[in-house]
Amino acid sequence: MAIPSPADDVDPLTLAVVQHKLRAIAEEMVETMARTCFSPILNQSRDFSSVVMDGQARTLAQAERVPIHMGAMPFAIEKMAAAFEGSLRPGDMLIANDPYAGGSHLPDVTMAMPVFDGGAVRFWVGLRAHQGDIGGISPGSYSPAATEIWHEGLRIPPMKLIEEGALRADLLQLLALNSRKGDDLKGDIQAQIAAVRSGAERVAGLIARYGAEASARCAAAVLDSGEAHMLRFLRACRPGHYAGISHLEGEGDEPLIPISASIDLSPERIIVDLRDCPDQMASFLNSPIANTRAAVIVALLYLSDDEGMLNDGATRPLEILTRPGSIVDPREPGPVAACTSLTASAIIEAVLKAMADACPQAAIAGFARRFRFALAGAHAGGEPFIWHFFFNRGGAGANASHEGWPNLGGIHNPGGTPSPSIERTEASYPLVVEEYALREGSGGAGRRRGGEGGVIRIRYEGEGGATIATSGDGVRVPPYGLAGGADGQGHAYWIERADGSRIPLGPRESGAELGPGDRIVCHAAGGGGYGSPE
Amino acid sequence: MRIGIDVGGTFTDVVATTSERGLVFVKTSSTPDDPSRGVIEGLHLLAAELGLSFEALLQDLEMLVHGTTVATNILVERNGARVGLLTTAGFGDLLVMREGTKARRYSLRDPFPEPLVAKELRKEVRERLRADGSVETALDLEDLDRAIAELKDAGVDAVAICFLHAHRNSGHERLALERIEQSGWPVYVSMASELLAKEGEYDRLSTAVVNAYVGPGFSRYLRRLSDRLAADGATAPILVMQSNGGVLPIAEAGRRAVGAVTSGPAGGARAAALFARSMNLENVVSYDTGGTSSDVCVVEGHVPIESPSKTMSDLKIAVSAIEINPVGLGGGSIACLDPAGILTIGPQSAGATPGPAAFGRGGNRATLTDANVVLGCIAPGSFLGGRLKIAPALAHAAIEREIAAPLQIGVEEAAFAIQQLAVSKISEGIRLATVRRGADPRDFALMCFGGAGGLHADAVARELEIPKAIVPRQASVLSALGFLATEVRHDFSRSLGRPLDRISPGGLREIFGELVNEGREALLRDGFSGERQVMRLTVECRYRRQVDSIDVPLTQEELEGDGPALLQERFTDLYRGLFHHSHDEPGFIDSCRLAALGRIPALTLPVVETSSAVPYGSRRLYLDEWIDCPAYWFDDLGSGAVFEGPGLVDSDSTTVLVLPGSRATVEPNGSLVITRGGV
Repeated sequence: MAIPSPADDVDPLTLAVVQHKLRAIAEEMVETMARTCFSPILNQSRDFSSVVMDGQARTLAQAERVPIHMGAMPFAIEKMAAAFEGSLRPGDMLIANDPYAGGSHLPDVTMAMPVFDGGAVRFWVGLRAHQGDIGGISPGSYSPAATEIWHEGLRIPPMKLIEEGALRADLLQLLALNSRKGDDLKGDIQAQIAAVRSGAERVAGLIARYGAEASARCAAAVLDSGEAHMLRFLRACRPGHYAGISHLEGEGDEPLIPISASIDLSPERIIVDLRDCPDQMASFLNSPIANTRAAVIVALLYLSDDEGMLNDGATRPLEILTRPGSIVDPREPGPVAACTSLTASAIIEAVLKAMADACPQAAIAGFARRFRFALAGAHAGGEPFIWHFFFNRGGAGANASHEGWPNLGGIHNPGGTPSPSIERTEASYPLVVEEYALREGSGGAGRRRGGEGGVIRIRYEGEGGATIATSGDGVRVPPYGLAGGADGQGHAYWIERADGSRIPLGPRESGAELGPGDRIVCHAAGGGGYGSPE
Repeated sequence: MRIGIDVGGTFTDVVATTSERGLVFVKTSSTPDDPSRGVIEGLHLLAAELGLSFEALLQDLEMLVHGTTVATNILVERNGARVGLLTTAGFGDLLVMREGTKARRYSLRDPFPEPLVAKELRKEVRERLRADGSVETALDLEDLDRAIAELKDAGVDAVAICFLHAHRNSGHERLALERIEQSGWPVYVSMASELLAKEGEYDRLSTAVVNAYVGPGFSRYLRRLSDRLAADGATAPILVMQSNGGVLPIAEAGRRAVGAVTSGPAGGARAAALFARSMNLENVVSYDTGGTSSDVCVVEGHVPIESPSKTMSDLKIAVSAIEINPVGLGGGSIACLDPAGILTIGPQSAGATPGPAAFGRGGNRATLTDANVVLGCIAPGSFLGGRLKIAPALAHAAIEREIAAPLQIGVEEAAFAIQQLAVSKISEGIRLATVRRGADPRDFALMCFGGAGGLHADAVARELEIPKAIVPRQASVLSALGFLATEVRHDFSRSLGRPLDRISPGGLREIFGELVNEGREALLRDGFSGERQVMRLTVECRYRRQVDSIDVPLTQEELEGDGPALLQERFTDLYRGLFHHSHDEPGFIDSCRLAALGRIPALTLPVVETSSAVPYGSRRLYLDEWIDCPAYWFDDLGSGAVFEGPGLVDSDSTTVLVLPGSRATVEPNGSLVITRGGV
């Protein structure tokens, strides 16, 4: 009577409720992960996301804490499904991270579970989480020195981690053994198992309540809705042919690497052609196709600002053209570690720039790129430490109606991980922050100014020397201005010796040395301006 | 007599405990231009209700507990004080740099939330402490005096003081405060380390600035109110509701204005805890559905769960507050069809103006309230006790036009779909709130209040398989009632930053000894001594590499033994309970916290007379089909009354729907308890 009766046909009520529940299930998986994940880095940065998919691995709903995870999982789960076609059983849970089997970079480990009804896979649930270390030549599994994928860590093809409910402890042990943080990895995978299981149970509950057929029809309707949202966005754009180009920085003085997107846009279709992008490189900048796709989709989402597009139906009118063997669709064994940050930012920028004339009211000027470093030194007393720089993310680009936000960070993950506390940093490491302030004038001028980057001066007070390894971009390529707005200032980092001399820090250095009393000075990029200054 | 007064946006609610008549309620319209007027009017109304003169009422008054949205509104409407800031040289921009985060991740065109202190009013002063509290650079007094003079010249109304590491050593902040006082400038001062003695410079800065921004206006309001009452002869203490669910005496409440900013939901949560205790329910999850949103709150062991900080109006406020999990769904939530024709509801709301179509104030969107009108759940004549006339035809038309016609379904079906979707949204919100606590919603009792809550309580409980849903009789004045179930509360803390294996039992005893002394003094000043003082000790623990800590409770007696060892054990247990794993390393103490509680005599809920359930009439109700549904007056249902659903229970603030197959029972305290049939 009062409770919606399990209906055989899709009535509007069932559809509305099921759509909402699919989203709630994705949210609950992420919450379960947040609550149970093990490694501090994961429960701080929340670098994970979940999906609920239909039987064909099309995303119906997702909950992501990192935008670049958007739209990245269908390939991974498709590959998993294909790898075990005919041999999937209820209670199986699959795992994979291989960038050449639908993954992004190796630390991002995807786990997924099929949900069966009547012997057929009706739905999938999955969760991707960034592991603190997956092996490879450098701690944390990011290395500018990597020239092939095997340098970056352990490749996991689609495998059954759980077979009909039974965990393969030997496999888990193998994974843990290949990480510098084996215990953390084990704990995080256990958390991931709990989260994926909770999602699968709830989806099974949905099927039990509404029936497999009605649920499947709801899923189809949800995808149609995503498509309708995308079409609404496309119709609001000016049809035409557009082109945008962005650049990644090469090593040292090497020339810039162009990432160009040309876009054909009609009210029914959008084709993003990335085939002009250069050949893949022996560098961690390569972006596997799944990551490239995610970057394109996230750019369109930024423009539409429409959460209705958060499912795979939205990608029906979208076609992405790439050239296998190029930097945005590499072949193995190209290394890929920087794809989710550096290369993703350049792809997003190329699409945003191309679309600036198609939807000027939504256009967004350039954001600061990611420029991180790790400092390896020793506490007074000699205990070694590694400190990762998470301050100072740089300014955001302006848009037609507002100035850019200061200190917000890269377009691949704007406003993601919170800045650490200065006090906590000083209490935990032999570092003293002498200044932390806005970098005045760093935001590009314009009718709307770009957001300002920050300045931070950090004095090292450890025992003996320390080394700095950088991994970043955006020194030679500043955040772009739009519609007559000026570019923001690029990043400028350097070491200031106790005697006052300065040694500039490049974005891909592996062994810059620092002595006690020396300072690291970071001037973060400001966002691009929008419109001619009046 | 004790009186609780809750000044909301629309109504001012007054609850009094009297010896002859038990609890007495009155309600009057709020007076937003000067809310203290509404308070006085409410008290006059109460006096009339009790047959007392106003003066006699004030003479009988032992204590007045006041909750108000004045501080909240100052912040939300951004009409607070002109604030100046004194801070460590090199860090003047911290307020603007924030934490580098943004809530809406895909919305990159949102305007930047303007800082509450303009650049020219952020004064950097030469001084520097190290992380252990030692002085690296002494406070430069010349610099300080110049900065103070400049702020004075700039005509600021309030000064926030926030120096790095001052939670370790507040010497420099105190010195700055003294210099301001010595200069003879009677400005409102907000000292960060006093509001929050905890690591995390941005948290302290943002909190101190919000306090400075809200403080002067809020203090003026409180003074106006106490002057008015004093002029009429009141001598009883006036206590002000805080976000942590406790109360503070009026003078201190003005100095700690930030504690009132997020106090809105605290009264309701305290009331939920009161009912939980009265009905002997260990775990309760409550939801309060208003016009635009529902606040979900978890009460474990009769105590509402607290969170260490909140964000309001884009500003971080790092004071303990009862944790609220908001769900973007209320009576005014707008239902619409997405581009593919799928029904959605909220988070957009028609608000109070124009409000639902049925209010006849020009609203033409289909809202949840309109759906409930169409379904017959809301009686047109008696909504809000008849204070608001309902126009069913308008509700009907809005749902027909916006939902039913495009979907080619009947208006009732459309309305029913809206209602069920709303139930689903509230249910999922409650599920998430309990999942976040590592708990299962089925282990809770559901409590519901707020005007729009009762219609969905039974359905929400069924959806979540919660065995018992409770609707308190006093739903309309529940928040004010909760005010009377609280205690005076002063929070103190000491930052520690040390692993548990590096602190001795004596060391821990000493820290808490100092905190307890401070607590005793504060309570003595408020007139609480001996047994009326209760000390609640909490240690904030985490693993060293983590950011967020969890609260580990401890008693004074336990400190006499091996406190650190006990803490380690308890921390591991709690951590496992929440996260299902633990780490093989010692816990790390962030800080030690003390809540010094001044106990106010416990409020006992009145026992209502017994009666049987006799409907006053019936209404046509649509539950997938039209049925005749008996309707009861809540006030006619005495203790022990029982009826089987379907049934509607009307009161002048809410309507409760009891579904077919459910059973409603009235508790001795008058609350309606809905269980599955046959229980």
